[in-house]
This record gives sequence, structure tokens and C-alpha cells, in this order.
Amino acid sequence: MTTGAKMAESSSTTARRRNIFGSTRLVRIGLLFVWGLFAGFPCYWMAVTAFKQQRDIYRGPYFVPFLDFTPTTRAWEFMMGPAREDVLRGLVNSLLFAGVSSFFAVVLGAFAAYGLARYQYRYGPYRNNDIAFLIVSQRIMPPIVAVIALFAMFKTVNLIDTPIGMIIAYTWFNLPLTVFLLTDFMNRIPIEIEQAAAIDGYGKGAQIWKVVLPLTMPGLAAAYLLSFFFAWNDFILALMLTFRTSVTLPIVITNMSAQMEPRWWLISAVGIVAIIPPILAVVVLDRFIERQVLHGGMR
Amino acid sequence: MVPLIFTLVLSLTNYSIGGRLGWVGFDNYLRLLNDLFFVKSYVNTFLYVFLGVVIQYWVGLGLALLVNSLTTGKRLMRLLILLPFMMPPLIVGFVWKTMFDSRYGPLSALTRVLHVGPILWLNDPALAFTSIVIVDTWQWTPFMFLILFAGLRILPKEPFEAARVDGASDWRIFWDLTFPMLIPASIGAILLRSIEAFKLFDIVFYITGGGPGGATSTATLQGYFTALRSGNLGYGAAMSIVLFLTVVVLSSVALLLVRSVHFRKPMLGRRALERTARIAATPAGGKL
Repeated sequence: MTTGAKMAESSSTTARRRNIFGSTRLVRIGLLFVWGLFAGFPCYWMAVTAFKQQRDIYRGPYFVPFLDFTPTTRAWEFMMGPAREDVLRGLVNSLLFAGVSSFFAVVLGAFAAYGLARYQYRYGPYRNNDIAFLIVSQRIMPPIVAVIALFAMFKTVNLIDTPIGMIIAYTWFNLPLTVFLLTDFMNRIPIEIEQAAAIDGYGKGAQIWKVVLPLTMPGLAAAYLLSFFFAWNDFILALMLTFRTSVTLPIVITNMSAQMEPRWWLISAVGIVAIIPPILAVVVLDRFIERQVLHGGMR
Repeated sequence: MVPLIFTLVLSLTNYSIGGRLGWVGFDNYLRLLNDLFFVKSYVNTFLYVFLGVVIQYWVGLGLALLVNSLTTGKRLMRLLILLPFMMPPLIVGFVWKTMFDSRYGPLSALTRVLHVGPILWLNDPALAFTSIVIVDTWQWTPFMFLILFAGLRILPKEPFEAARVDGASDWRIFWDLTFPMLIPASIGAILLRSIEAFKLFDIVFYITGGGPGGATSTATLQGYFTALRSGNLGYGAAMSIVLFLTVVVLSSVALLLVRSVHFRKPMLGRRALERTARIAATPAGGKL
């Protein structure tokens, strides 16, 4: 009798749970939809603005091309014509600086984070957590203060307005972020997995390369993306450290708005160009964030 | 360190662009206490940080969980969520300025359809403040989302499977497993985000310029206006030193508070695994 009752009870609970689960699924999709609208609409607005004329921008909210305003390709013609050289140079520079510097930031950050996660350091009163905090505290300084020092240093070694100088600057800028983030991820990897690899005859280098790095892949990819976004959208470093040959895209965009009346149609069009590389970076790195490897790795 | 000392020395002088250099000691700091505009900006900065970080953390965590539970369309959703973070700041400023505009903004079209009078978003102090919080949330939630989502993906699966077998509800699984195991990633995300939020500058600069009447101004913005627009370098330097010291003290205190959690960090995952192993070792998979 008891078993029968229990079975009936359990089957009713599963049914109820499935029911709740079905409705929560709808709620979940609804919430995501609302947020997607909130996140995506300004981007849509930027895209639409790139096809408007100046007077359409200021005459009222026009939402749909062809329905309430006639789209023009004037911004695109201008960008391919007179502004082509500037935009292209900014794009190539930004791509180079952000891509390479984020790579260095993640590689160096991963090594530092591994050290902080696996070994106990002691420099005077400083322990591991204090060292991690010291590294992060570099970000606390108001950027203007830090940039003046960078400018003076770069001036003495002739790195101002050079690609190498900008890559160094952005690596320095993003390193605290990657170290701090990756320390958490490295900490999460059970040391037993590494010990198992050591028993199987892997050296330290192979342990890191074949075991630790693949396991922290979501963290590495996220750190790379964040560094990339920060370097991509950075304004203040580029403003102080570049003049002509290595200007980045945000500087090019700002120069366009500095003219008498900001030409928002043109700026939006460049904005669309500026948003494509980060999108590609997300598309490429997405699969690594998704990867969930720490599954059944340890018994 | 050099620029910091430079700024510190500068803050003790009355140096201004085109003016003479004179030593004034701590006069600049005393002046700050009575400067209503600065006090207002300083309080605003705290409010921005607190509201912004709290909202962005919970929304980011919610989004990370939601996207993680999706079966299809994950990639598209992630891309869509990350979009705001990729926009150049100047364009963020422009887009949101038009969004809030009472004449040609999309939001005004919405209020017209709903037959609510035009809302002057950027003219009312409280509404302007809210607008900045909204834009800040829009721009920075992706940051939280990315860190927390990567943190979710690296969690071991076994404890969750064990909890499911034991018939735990989603709610219990979240509070007993997901949330505690995400604490290290959360601390990192919150700390980094707070540090960045204290330096909030660009969206306020582009959207409201600190107005109306300083209602949306931040400490960085006020320092910028004082030092570089009014040319009062010494006084502006004092403002940035005050902000810098505030952030150092606050983040040190925060780290001291979370230190116990930090040290427990490697244990959290392992303890969950041990518990799972214990449950699995008992006949019939634990209590049934």
C-alpha cells in the first residue's frame, strides 16, 4: 500500500513539475525577449540613422526605412569616398592593437593567474590576495593620471604614435583585468586533475598546455573578449598617445563630430563599421565560452 | 606611482593654466568640503555605483542563467546581449540622447501612443539621473553577463545532477549550489565593475553634460570641468585625489570582508564533489 501511494505521489509531483517547467520556459523566453529588445533597439536605431539625412534625424522619430523616410546612401558614399583613408586607417589600427594586445594580455595574465592560484607567495607583508589586489588597484587610478606618466615614458623611448607603443599600452591597460579574472578560473580547477596528469608522465609545461588551459577555456575566451572590447572602445589612451599614423577608430569618429555640426548619419555609418569586428570576435570565440569541459573529468 | 605623486603635489598648490604657482597646503581640500557642486557629484557617484552594480549584477546573473538553460538560439542570444558593450562610447551617447529626446526620440513616440504626455527625460533632475542609470545598465550588463556566464560554464556538473536526482527544486539548486559556487566569479565581476563605475564619465558627458543643475554630475566629470575647462589644475587634482583615496579604501575594505570567502574558494567546488561522491557511495544513491 505504501509503495503504491508513494508511486502515485511521485508521478503526480513529476507531472506537476513538468507543468511548472513548461510555463517557466515561456517566462524565460519572454524575459530574454524583453532584454533582447532593450539591448538591440539602440543598435537598430544606430543602423537606421546611418541611412537618414540630417533633417530626418531632427524632424521626428522615423523608425522604418521606405515607410516613413526615404533612405539615402549618402553616408556610405562619403565614407567610401573622401573619408575612406581615415576610416580605413583607423579600422586597421584598431584591429591590430586590440587583437594583438588582448592576446598578450590573456597569455601573460594566464601565466600570472596560474602562479597566483597554485603557489603561495610572500613578499614582506604581501600574500597572494594582496598581490592580486595590488595588480587590480592599477585600474583604480583615474586614467588621466596614468596616461600622463605613459606619455612621458613613451616620449623618452620614442614609442609615441607607433603601433608597438599602442600594443604595449593596451596590454598594460588590460593585464590587471585578465590576471584578476583568470585567477578565479584557475582556482576552480581541482589540483587532483593536474596530479593525475603528472602521474601519467606529463611535465609541468604539458600539464599547463594540455590540461589547465583547455579546462579554463571559457575563462580565457571571456577575458580575451573583454580585453578586446576595452581596447577597441578605448578613447583616452589613443587620444594622448597617437597623432597621425596610429590613430584608432574612436579617435576618427570623434574627429568627425568635432566639426561644426556633428554629422550623425556619417558617424552612425562608421559606428556600424566599428561594431563589425567585435561581432566577428564574439562569433569566433563563442564556441570556447560555450565549452564545458569539466564534466566527468574526475572520479 | 610617479603620476600619482605628481597629482598629489599639484593638489596642494593653486596652480592654474596661465597662472602662477603657489603653495596653499590643504586649502584645496578644505574648499572641497564646502563646494556644493563637488559634494553633490561625489554623492551622485556613490549612488551610480551602488544602483548600477546591484542592478547589473542581478540582471547579468539572471541573463547568464537564462541563456544557459536555453536549448536553441544560444549563440544569437549571446551576441545580442553583448551588442551594447561593443558600441563606441560617442555613439552610445548620441543614440541615447536621441532616444530620450522629447521631440524626435523613439521613447516620445511610445509615450504618444500610450497617451502619456511627453516626458522630459533629461530636464527633470530625478528623471535625468534615472536615465543615466538606465544607459549605464544597458551598456555594462554585458560585462557582468560575460564573466558570470563563463563562470557558469566552468562549474562541475556532478553536484547538479546529484541534486536533480534528489529532487531538489530549481530554486533550491540555485541558492544551495549555483550561487555559492559562483561567489568567486561574482566577487571578481563586482569588484572590477565597481572600480570602473567610480570613473563613470563618458555617457554623462555626452548625454547630459552633468546637468540639469549638476543633478547627474560625477566626481570625475566635475574634476575634468574644474581642471581642464576652468583651468584650475590644482583644485581639480585635489578632486581626483579624493576620489582615488575613496576607491582604494572602499575596495580594500571590500576585499578584507570577502577574504574569508576567497580562502574558501578552492574548497567550494571540492566540497560539493565530495558530497556527491558520498551520496553516490550510499546504496540506491542516498535517501530515496
